[in-house]
Amino acid sequence: MTAILDHQDAGPQDTGTRRSLMKRVLDGLSPSRLMVPGFLLFWSLLVIVPLVVIVLFSFLQVRQFRVVYEPTLATWISLIDSGRWMAVVRTLRVALTMTVIEFLLAFPFALWLAKGCRSKTVKAAVITLLTIPFFLDAASRIIVWRSILGTTGAINTALMSLGLVDQPVEWLLYSEFAVHFGLLGTYFPPMVFPIFMSIALIDDEFIQASGDLGASPAQTLFNVILPLALPGIVAGIVFTLVPLMAAFVEPQLLGGGFVDLLGNSVNSALQQLKYPTAAALSTLVVLLLGLCLVALIRVVHRRIDLAAMFVAMRR
Amino acid sequence: MSSSTTFADAPAAARSAPPILEIVNAVHAYDGVVALDNVSVSAAPGEFLTILGESGSGKTTLLRLISGLEKPYRVGTLKLEGVDVREVPAFQRNCTTVFQNYALFPHMTVGANVEYGLKVRGVPPKDREARAREALRLVQLQEMYDRKVHQLSGGQRQRVALARALVPRPAILLLDEPLGALDEKLRVDMQVELMQLHKQLGMTFIYITHSQEEALTMSDRIILMRKGKIEQAGPPAEIFDSPISSFAAKFMGVDNCFEGELVAVSDGWASVAVGERRIDGRWTGKSAPQPGAKVAVGMRAEWLQLSDAPPDASGEHNVLDCVAEASIYKGKYLDRTVKTALGPLKARIWDAASSARHPSFVRWKKGDCIVMNA
Repeated sequence: MTAILDHQDAGPQDTGTRRSLMKRVLDGLSPSRLMVPGFLLFWSLLVIVPLVVIVLFSFLQVRQFRVVYEPTLATWISLIDSGRWMAVVRTLRVALTMTVIEFLLAFPFALWLAKGCRSKTVKAAVITLLTIPFFLDAASRIIVWRSILGTTGAINTALMSLGLVDQPVEWLLYSEFAVHFGLLGTYFPPMVFPIFMSIALIDDEFIQASGDLGASPAQTLFNVILPLALPGIVAGIVFTLVPLMAAFVEPQLLGGGFVDLLGNSVNSALQQLKYPTAAALSTLVVLLLGLCLVALIRVVHRRIDLAAMFVAMRR
Repeated sequence: MSSSTTFADAPAAARSAPPILEIVNAVHAYDGVVALDNVSVSAAPGEFLTILGESGSGKTTLLRLISGLEKPYRVGTLKLEGVDVREVPAFQRNCTTVFQNYALFPHMTVGANVEYGLKVRGVPPKDREARAREALRLVQLQEMYDRKVHQLSGGQRQRVALARALVPRPAILLLDEPLGALDEKLRVDMQVELMQLHKQLGMTFIYITHSQEEALTMSDRIILMRKGKIEQAGPPAEIFDSPISSFAAKFMGVDNCFEGELVAVSDGWASVAVGERRIDGRWTGKSAPQPGAKVAVGMRAEWLQLSDAPPDASGEHNVLDCVAEASIYKGKYLDRTVKTALGPLKARIWDAASSARHPSFVRWKKGDCIVMNA
């Protein structure tokens, strides 16, 4: 008996003091004193500093593989002259169209998944299926579509052998359609998940109360579900729109050089070691995203006070 | 504008009027567990009907059947205001619910919540604001129109939920344990307010509760439910004084219940053998059983009298000798437990000073002893 006690006493003596020291340090990290400034510092080092460097870099030039440290607008001027700004407009158009399409597809799907689907097994299976796009590398996932959409691909072969068309349908691959189609699968999950989460959090009683008070299913959707799911919708739009602005795998593999987006331009500029050009294009992307997000926040804010709603939902 | 313009004081409808609610043989089950087993209920216009039962007795299921939030597995008749609503969805039925957890929309102000039922019916904004303010005045929250829901206390939320359900002027107001989440003091106040509202509006209230005290205080009629069936239905006094079974008796707060064998029954009086003893009492059960059948005997703690001298055998009382055991001080009264040949009995003594300190006898009137189905 005493032997056991001795053994226990001897071993963890120093780890005991170490743990208490750890505890003391952790206790000292109250949100107000250390955590918030620490987090802000970490955040700015990780995100803000590279951003600032990129913006500054766009005003420099590279000559003979060397950076020349004197400010110039040359990169920006060439960006406009070379017509690369067209890529900006195209990117914005594609990104916004895709965000709208994804939302229109994802919202009903998320609503069904959160409230309509009663079987837990089906729900788990669907959620797992949605994560599959993240299993594979984007390029290997996208390149498969070439063999399906191409002029000698599965669809055209089927259409021709059925006698529905004489010539293979050209616009299926290396077109804007193909790019949109390729983006569809990749950016569906980031739109679905936040919306699914926020709808799942809506208490069934609110939906029942709405119906009980005389609201038709459509009225319940617009008056209760949609406003209460707004935080998730905003998150879904952000998580979809932001990476869409930088998408380059799908346009490269399925656009066939006809659909040049900002992501491709940045990529090719980097490959040609035109760092200032890449930096200028990236700055444009960040700028456009900032504008989009400001617009989104203003639209949402006019409808509803998001912060107050989070307080309200805590009950 | 006085409250009489929109919420007219309606006279209590005659009980002979056709029922506003009629359910015949409702059957419902959740995942193979029977929640309602051939339940038939009807309510007269303007009635305050309470459905009483413990959790899992099927009372909430019954309410959801009426509101349309649940579709019964099988039902013979389901009529609201004389109209068959078996296939009518919840939003087209003329009844509203006050939910147990209020279910106030968190993204709307108090006013918007109260107006909701009118908004979805396409009532113009001006009218609905007037009617919402009116309803808020009815529940004494007239200043809260512009508040956010999360700024309200529990009691205020309860009132808002009540106002919201009243505003569309439903034929039947369904209340699902609305006072369950409130503290004692508030609950008693709200009971009185609900009764006044009911009187003032002349609306049919169907009230769900597990509290016998609430049911007795407020209702015109009580339906006591047990395991998906109706155990007993009747006015509060009837259920309180004459429970038909030991379950009903225990639910209505009869403290002392024993099982015995019926010896004889005649003229509403029964005599029961409990162990060696013979106890006489009123027969309150359903059908008159055969002698020899298992029955239950019950008496309320407050009707038991303790004494240290043998009481005179007048024939009006049941008398047992006893040994005093624990006593619990409850402020207004004293609960004493005594050991008898039947088992422990609980006696409630209101006047502790003049009661026997070491009682050796316990007696109670035969009229205060009830004999019912086991």
